[in-house]
Amino acid sequence: MSELLTGLSRALVLATLLVPGIAAALPDRLPDNLVWITNEEDPTYAAPEAKRGGTFRTSMQSFPLTLRRVGPDSNGGFAQYLRYNQMSLVEWHPNTRRPIPSLASHWAFDADGKTVYYRIDEDARWSDGVPVTAADFEFTREFMRSKFIVAPWYNDYYTTQVVDIRAYGDRIVGVEGAAPRPAEELMYEYSVGVVPKHFHRLTDNWVADYNWKIEPNTGPYQITDVRKGRYIELTRDPNWWANDRKYYQHRFNPDKIRIKVVRDLNVDFQHFIKGETDTFGLVIPQFWHDKAKGTVFDNGYVSRYWFYNDLPQPSSGMFLNEDDPILKDRNVRIALAYAMNFDKVIRTVLRNDYARMQTFNEGFGDYDNLAIHAREFDLAKARDYLEAAGWHDRGPDGILVKDGKRLSLRVTYGSPYSTDRLVVLREEAKKAGIELELALLDSASAFKQMQEKKHQIAWMTWASQGISPEYWQFFHSVNAHVPQTNNLMNHDDPVMDKLIDAYRASSAKSERVELAHRLEQMVFDSGAIISSFKVPYTREAAWNWVKLPAWLGTRTTDQLFDPLELSAGVYSAGGLFWIDVDEKRRIRAAMAAGEKFAPVLKKDETYRRRDLE
Amino acid sequence: MTISPLARKQWHRFKSIKRGYYAALALAGLLVMSCAAEMLVNNRALIVSYQGKLYFPTYGAFLPGSTFGLGYDYETNYRELRSRFADSDDGWVLMPPVPYNAFENDLRELTYPPYPPSFATRHFLGTDTTGRDIVARLVYGFRIAIGFSLMLLLCNYLIGIAVGCAMGFWGGAFDLFFQRVIEVWSNVPFLYVIMIVASIMVPTFWTLTFVMVLFGWMSMTWYMRTSTYKEKTRDYVMAARALGASSTRIVARHILPNTVSVIVTFIPFSIASGITALTALDYLGFGLLPPTPSWGDLLSQGTDNLDSPWIVTSVVTAMIVILLMVTYIGEAIREAFDPKRFTFYE
Repeated sequence: MSELLTGLSRALVLATLLVPGIAAALPDRLPDNLVWITNEEDPTYAAPEAKRGGTFRTSMQSFPLTLRRVGPDSNGGFAQYLRYNQMSLVEWHPNTRRPIPSLASHWAFDADGKTVYYRIDEDARWSDGVPVTAADFEFTREFMRSKFIVAPWYNDYYTTQVVDIRAYGDRIVGVEGAAPRPAEELMYEYSVGVVPKHFHRLTDNWVADYNWKIEPNTGPYQITDVRKGRYIELTRDPNWWANDRKYYQHRFNPDKIRIKVVRDLNVDFQHFIKGETDTFGLVIPQFWHDKAKGTVFDNGYVSRYWFYNDLPQPSSGMFLNEDDPILKDRNVRIALAYAMNFDKVIRTVLRNDYARMQTFNEGFGDYDNLAIHAREFDLAKARDYLEAAGWHDRGPDGILVKDGKRLSLRVTYGSPYSTDRLVVLREEAKKAGIELELALLDSASAFKQMQEKKHQIAWMTWASQGISPEYWQFFHSVNAHVPQTNNLMNHDDPVMDKLIDAYRASSAKSERVELAHRLEQMVFDSGAIISSFKVPYTREAAWNWVKLPAWLGTRTTDQLFDPLELSAGVYSAGGLFWIDVDEKRRIRAAMAAGEKFAPVLKKDETYRRRDLE
Repeated sequence: MTISPLARKQWHRFKSIKRGYYAALALAGLLVMSCAAEMLVNNRALIVSYQGKLYFPTYGAFLPGSTFGLGYDYETNYRELRSRFADSDDGWVLMPPVPYNAFENDLRELTYPPYPPSFATRHFLGTDTTGRDIVARLVYGFRIAIGFSLMLLLCNYLIGIAVGCAMGFWGGAFDLFFQRVIEVWSNVPFLYVIMIVASIMVPTFWTLTFVMVLFGWMSMTWYMRTSTYKEKTRDYVMAARALGASSTRIVARHILPNTVSVIVTFIPFSIASGITALTALDYLGFGLLPPTPSWGDLLSQGTDNLDSPWIVTSVVTAMIVILLMVTYIGEAIREAFDPKRFTFYE
């Protein structure tokens, strides 16, 4: 679902950025006054004591239908292993959140505000030994625009969003975007990937021909063994070109990664308990509290980790349709916020595992507006606001009535797992005289209803993305009162429009931060969104032969035992763990001998954002 | 109205089959009790005596907490009121045997639902995953399921009998045409239609009934068609026709009463299938919307939480009991209406 949403919202951003008649406009000659920037001064974050070797065994839910990165059926779970084994031009430091060199050693901004020039690292090599050159990037443009790859989304992205990619000699490449943006956003949007020119022959048959071909890559591992339907094995390139680069040292340590197909989560857990896989994710409360028990945990063979991170949080909550006759009254919206007992839901059905989300956008560093605190359950305040809105009298069932109409509001949602949470909110809201009518649809229909603005209250989550909060698609009036936009609230405020336009046009971070704070405050004041929950941590279990640095992870680590960079979006936080082969032998022997160790539960709150709780 | 000697005989025969007879009594009892469920399973008190005045909150408008000197204007929490009165002389509260309704979440700090069965908290069968009482969910779920089932039965039989009779009575092109219509119609995959309906609109009691009727009326037509055909050629029908009776009169007064045994025999099984259909749909998530109390919802919670066995045990036991009762009744009716007298029921 969240992937779908990301895709949809991205597509929307694209559609609206499309300016007719854009022509490729990169100059033939490299501009003279470029200032080349790099970043070698940020601290490293991998453990120097990490040992190379061993096999990291993990699982996937289904076998991929192709080994292509683009084209039909290329969007399955395994695709991450292919995509993140290809480096992009720059990455983002997981602690400082600043760009760090990856394929490009230096970068420079053009004065037009929409072009970035990158200098490709001299040593950058494909896994077959061929140097990565600017020509590969030019080829990427042709490739992504090609009809032969059968990938309309990429066709469109590399035409309307990335309008030009041009080589200047062997080492320098220019990437031009459609619209001017602040520097860090430019870096985020236009740090494009690369496709090996020497490997691909674009023909009518490309999709079929390249289905199971192993593409050369720039990352640390290559696919070395494919057993269809059973597993895929990746092997570390002993001569990986970036091995000694500052930010890549001591990372991606296992010699091999074996990804086995296990179709069911409970079966997967049993595999883990038997030691057939090395790690297991325990974010789901049921697994953490009820299932992660027993001998292997009690005898200290398996450790549990609870690691707080500081990442952009998915924006989840109730999105109130301001075009609705009842909800157009701000007093009702505010009262509704005071009538939602999220705290009780967290303390009971969610087992204190989730936290309350305070604002619509959270976890964007400086952009976070810490002055805002979500409205807490308060019946007296709810009553005052409802009185102000003219809802005085209760009907025979205890629900407020005005002019013969009951204060009954429909909550549209698409995930059956949310029902547990909503029923508690519903019962508590009755105390304020508000009835919530729960309308559970299947997720696609629910999202369709919301996008058509036919809902009263939409209960949903937007996948977080990017490096700074996004306001235009959610709050600008051009997206209000029309279907198929993400402004689910039909929020329409000319003052806010001006600020959003300024926010989008501004390229100075301090100004953008200040505008973001003001915008977030306006969102809060409007009462159009009642933020719900966040999970600001990862919980995982691992056999004790899987070692982590003393600091476990980074600020933006989304998954501790991430063999590549499958998670955490743009931040380069993966591959910090290693497999201690000797330790593995010792633990196996101890298990056979019945020897016990102290159980281990490591909870790390270094990056816990208490200011956002 | 006089009862025909045949009907009397059938009734005696039915009564003599003890298993079916008692099952019928028990089911009838359950039906009546479920109609008065508010008095047995409810969070509203039966009687409150406060400052010398009696209140009967069960039916009618809600009483805000302020009525009893509590500082809030939402519905009184009568369980709290009772423990309050226990410490003072302000009055007394008489609660129903199960003091919870099917919606409220009885949640406590530091322990997490589902809670196991407990006499102390009066959750006799425990709670579900959001702390709702299972007895209450079962009772109110039963009421909805049986109501749904009866509604479905009525609509299905009305249409099925009317169409079936007409097919058998008129025969010819009409019969042929409807036979083909029914054949085509019964090949529409009903479950997919339900899924599609449930995904594009919010399913309510009435939309679900409508869709189920849309695809459920056919089975009765075949039986009615055959028995009408059979009865139509009997002499008494001929006689009635010779006397100048109209077609409507012949069907209504002569043929239908003689096919009643067919209809009656099917009724218990239709009720059972109605209940299971609703439960199955709820289980799959295509049924009535949450938080409507439903057995299917309990069943799905139970199978997801097998380590809280009281959920799945309660609902499975309840289902088995109801379906067994219906089956016994069905058996007994079939036996009572069986024209072959020489078979014996053991």
